[in-house]
Amino acid sequence: MQAFAPGIYPRSEELVQATRDLDRGRTSQEAVDEQVQRDLGELVSVQQAAGLDLLADGMLRWQDVFRPIVEAADGLEKGALTRFLDTNTFYRAPSAANDAPKLPQPLNGGYFAPLPAPRLVTLPSPFALAHGTGVAPSELAEGVLKPQIEALDAELVVLEEPFLARAENGGLDSLAAALEKLGGGPKLALWVTFGSADKLFEQGLADLPVDGIGVDFYATKVSSVPEGFGKTLFAGVLDARSSVSEDPSEIAAFAGQLRERGVEEIALVPNGDLQYVSQAVAREKLARLGQAKTEAA
Amino acid sequence: MSSNGDIKFLTHEVGSLAKPPWLVKTSAGKPLEESDVEHAQAWGEKLEVDGHEELVELLRQDERDPDEIARWSSRYCLRLQESAGVDVIWDGEQQRSEMYAWAIAHSNGFEPRGTIRSFDNKYYSKSAAVGPVSLGAPYHNDEFSFLKSAAKHELKIPITGAYTLAVWSYDEHHLPKTGRLGAGLSRQDEVDARRQLTLDIARNIIRPNLEALIALGATWIQIDEPGASTEEDELDIFVESFNVSVEGLDCTFSTHLCFSDYDLFFPAIEGMAGCRQYCVGFANYDTTELGTSSADRPGYEVISKWRDLPYEPILGLGVTDIHTDFIESPELVRDRILYAVDVFGDPARIHVCPDCGLRTRSWDVAYEKLRNMVEGTRLAEESLNRAHAGSTS
Repeated sequence: MQAFAPGIYPRSEELVQATRDLDRGRTSQEAVDEQVQRDLGELVSVQQAAGLDLLADGMLRWQDVFRPIVEAADGLEKGALTRFLDTNTFYRAPSAANDAPKLPQPLNGGYFAPLPAPRLVTLPSPFALAHGTGVAPSELAEGVLKPQIEALDAELVVLEEPFLARAENGGLDSLAAALEKLGGGPKLALWVTFGSADKLFEQGLADLPVDGIGVDFYATKVSSVPEGFGKTLFAGVLDARSSVSEDPSEIAAFAGQLRERGVEEIALVPNGDLQYVSQAVAREKLARLGQAKTEAA
Repeated sequence: MSSNGDIKFLTHEVGSLAKPPWLVKTSAGKPLEESDVEHAQAWGEKLEVDGHEELVELLRQDERDPDEIARWSSRYCLRLQESAGVDVIWDGEQQRSEMYAWAIAHSNGFEPRGTIRSFDNKYYSKSAAVGPVSLGAPYHNDEFSFLKSAAKHELKIPITGAYTLAVWSYDEHHLPKTGRLGAGLSRQDEVDARRQLTLDIARNIIRPNLEALIALGATWIQIDEPGASTEEDELDIFVESFNVSVEGLDCTFSTHLCFSDYDLFFPAIEGMAGCRQYCVGFANYDTTELGTSSADRPGYEVISKWRDLPYEPILGLGVTDIHTDFIESPELVRDRILYAVDVFGDPARIHVCPDCGLRTRSWDVAYEKLRNMVEGTRLAEESLNRAHAGSTS
């Protein structure tokens, strides 16, 4: 039993204020950087206290899960401000200026903060990055994501996928072809966030060429997980859109149901970025995730 | 139409404007710097705010009443829009903490749950419904009474709508706290819970506010619903909550929608005949090239759906992108209006406004955008009236 906290973590009230002040010219970038470091230190402490198995940096400098990659890539541009799924948070939808975007230089360390222990990194899945651009996911995997992954020093890369569960015309085939291009480096997990994977499992989600599959179990039935699931199941058991703190015993019991289903490798994770709750709420949720892991072990 | 039969478009604001540093710091209990006082002095002179010297004196004092400073900020924002030539105005919500937080803070049954990112470095506070919701006391009365005494132009009151208040809140009251793992709660259960919370807010919070404002003389109230399209399968709840809020009340009601896939609203809003105007942001999705063909105006492609609504509402046409410092030229504004008139075939069904509140822009940028919005509106009127004169001579 493992537990991780991939995705964008909420900023503290202090960092919220610092970044607001920065936008209004009332503070300096240095002051914001110092607060980012304090937030990062706090997040590391929370993860360590919870006993999470790999550390994450919370992507505290990422404005959304696409932005730094889009801004660094030749041939990708940030588009209109767009509602992120059914949340009140918005992102700049990527758009493409040509058919074959490239990442000339991997993102620098500013977007992947150094951590004191082995780590995971979250990146957009190629299907998500391609969403609405008209570019094939495999093209973005090869030209943009692969050079970034090759430059990372990470045990695990979590590819965040918010759109696949809602795609009307499937997408598994194009995603599979894209994921094939990303293998050979660190372990890969596809994290299907905020949506039901019931149909995706029927269509072959479990067969994608990655080491782990992440599922939102607030929208997905246990019975949808194929018998004999042979990868690590990243079980989305923290509801990142709810202010209610989960009951560790309920999560542990749920993990038991997954085991009964024949799932051997389980990693407890949120069902999406924790940035949809405040830092205080997220901190409590991660603490309970750790308790659940202990109870379920 | 103007009294002489010429085409004349009504221009109006949408909601918020940035709060000046002297208000922000006063509200936070922080000391002011000389530059803050200079800001008040310079804008007071620029906008010819009556008695602004009095504010400057107040700002030089160590002790300041935040409510009094907020009223001064209201005067400045009224004058900013009047000076820009906007016909129907509000004070940029200077006396409110924020469109969601203000409403929640004056209502019962909610508890704060912290700050959430809206986008980039913009955030909003988010609360949870933890019990039955109700109104503490009407929360826009003092503001409206003051602005009525201070404004020279007509007023339109923005009030955050029931669905947006509901969907921007967590619901710890109607939703179960356990038993949800493994899809234990169906989507229909979630929708039912949202309906309960939203209609409770409409009946117990929004409607009493509207009744109180009408009693004070309000003639146009804009029900802000930026969250209306958040859940595709809940649009009927948004429509029902609007109707429950306004049904039978004697006032002009409009709504504001923004940053959404507007196709989602159709056909749901066919059932919202009490809404006489839809104020909608489009410029954010448009190009900045000039032109009046549909190819030139991709951001406005969807407006024909408002044209075709059976109860023929007016469309408040968002012509100004509020998320960029790019200042739309009057000619660009003109072309956006001309395109809309061409689609609607009836200029009387078009008003002109920004995409949304301008609070993320500086006053300098907001002022220039509004001035160009008004100037572009005049250009559109000239163009149409010239064409009309040519066709009748």
